[in-house]
Amino acid sequence: MIVTAITLGTSGMVSGQGTPADSTQAAGAAAPAAGGAAVNGDPAAGEALYKANCTSCHALNKRVLGPALAGVNQKYNDEAYLIKWIKNAPAMVASGDERAVKIYEEYNKAAMTPFPQFSDDDVRNILAYIQVEGDKKPEAAAAPGGATTGAESADTGVSNFMIIGLVAVILIAFLVILVLNRVIATLERLLLNKGEAILAEEDETEEEAKDKFAGLKRMAKNKKLVFFVILGFVVLLASFGTVEMWNTGVHTGYQPVQPIKFSHQLHAGTNQIDCQYCHSGAWKSKNATIPSLNVCMNCHKYVQATEKYDGEISPEIKKIYTALDYNPETQAYGDNPRPIEWVRIHNLPDLAYFNHSQHVKVAGIDCQKCHGPIETMEEVYQYSPLTMKWCINCHRETEVKHEGNAYYDKVIAAHDQIKKGEKVTAAVLGGLECGKCHY
Amino acid sequence: MNKTSILGLAFLAITAITMMSSCKDKSKPGLEYAPNMYDAIAYNPDQKNPNFADGKTAQVPPSGTNPIGYARFNYPDTREGYDAASAGVVNPLPVNQKNLEEGKQLYIAMCGPCHGPQGKGNGSIVELGKYPAPPSYSTGVSSRGGAMKDLTDGKIYHTIQYGLNLMGSYASQLSPEERWQVVMYVRELQKVQ
Repeated sequence: MIVTAITLGTSGMVSGQGTPADSTQAAGAAAPAAGGAAVNGDPAAGEALYKANCTSCHALNKRVLGPALAGVNQKYNDEAYLIKWIKNAPAMVASGDERAVKIYEEYNKAAMTPFPQFSDDDVRNILAYIQVEGDKKPEAAAAPGGATTGAESADTGVSNFMIIGLVAVILIAFLVILVLNRVIATLERLLLNKGEAILAEEDETEEEAKDKFAGLKRMAKNKKLVFFVILGFVVLLASFGTVEMWNTGVHTGYQPVQPIKFSHQLHAGTNQIDCQYCHSGAWKSKNATIPSLNVCMNCHKYVQATEKYDGEISPEIKKIYTALDYNPETQAYGDNPRPIEWVRIHNLPDLAYFNHSQHVKVAGIDCQKCHGPIETMEEVYQYSPLTMKWCINCHRETEVKHEGNAYYDKVIAAHDQIKKGEKVTAAVLGGLECGKCHY
Repeated sequence: MNKTSILGLAFLAITAITMMSSCKDKSKPGLEYAPNMYDAIAYNPDQKNPNFADGKTAQVPPSGTNPIGYARFNYPDTREGYDAASAGVVNPLPVNQKNLEEGKQLYIAMCGPCHGPQGKGNGSIVELGKYPAPPSYSTGVSSRGGAMKDLTDGKIYHTIQYGLNLMGSYASQLSPEERWQVVMYVRELQKVQ
């Protein structure tokens, strides 16, 4: 359920960060709120400059590498000073300007890039854009409310599924009762046919109150009934046992609870991030590799889904920070990192050798062929049975791509040598490779 | 037949069904026959390991060790290192179809989400508005000065190795050879109009 919340949260974020529909109109609305700071620039022209030059280090409403920019006009209230700073920040720090040095110290001594290519008007335009966009903050904050209701409705969706399941179970139970009723009626008729008098039945109803087990006792005496009941049990147990034994060691559908509610549907589906971005080992090693947390931090240093959690960092993203001992306020890493204990889903027995790079890089097989529609999975489950039969069936059907593969070129060369009657040693066929003996 | 036995039988049937369905717990892998043949004594790379202080099997190699065939990149993560790399290194790989193809494949997977398929700073997560756009390789301006299209092999490699601004280091995802293949492809994207 939390997984759905994350997905909705991030999509909510999209609407929150959307580009302004009409910035000039917004500028008009924002002008009174600007207070003492004068905004004399073109926000539309500033937007392009801002997005091309500033966003790799700054955001409007949160700290990135540099400080949040919303309200910068009011804070300094001196356009000429800001223009000087933005055009050459290192010079400001070097000149010993008190406020510039303070910011420089506060932000881990990361020097701001000088922008000598900006004209004074360029900087004014950027400042105007920051003014207009920064004042929009309350508007953007309204978005999370909508997202939350979305998450709630998703929750009811899950419970609906459970209700349907329960109804189905009850229906099945009802059917079972009906069938059993039928069976009982037939058995009764059998008993009657056996010559037991109608009187006896009347006795039965009377005796019922006296001896509850009278009926059972009488049924136990009926050898046919006992035989069929026992037969039924044996068939049931045998079929159940066969299914269980058949599926021993087959973990299809295995979906363990993971320590972080990571959604492949969001990352690989919506965001279209390539599988190998995180599982980079799939190309070059036996193991597809679980990404280390620095890979998460490539994006989550910036992406915190705060729009969804009323300005708080998403609790799932916080788990990454906790594991890394990372402080998002100061952006500093502590010295007590702990690994995340992901639960392995696809687990071949160690007696079988499987190499990802051979399948992904050499054969060019899509990840989905074995792992199923991963890009639609909120939570990953094992899609394929990973049985030997499953492997072998695929190996029987798959054609080898031998073009441009140096291995097969060598095999063909050796084949030609043999045909010509030349001497071919084991070494020619790779007999000297260490792994042939020392595995 | 009486009601008690009907109810009793129905109850039994329901219990049997519940028991059978509860055996299919998705969060458990299920039965395994002779699991000691499945799990070797040797540790897998992603397994816990009580023999190391931090409990991980995958240990970081001691500092200063190089894998066989590994070329070192002796430029520090500073502005001076960046400029020195620009002057000091060129791509050791020959420009050919194979390297460009592999560079493209790696670029699309590793850089594409932000930098976009053409290097214009319009990757999938930028288009979705989730991440700020990086500068375009062909028309953008580098935050360390100069045009992006004038970046040298050494500068691009230095950035892949250490990261810059919001971009993290890709040293853990790309081997040195792969980094040079990506550099080769990025040099091509600088020419995109």
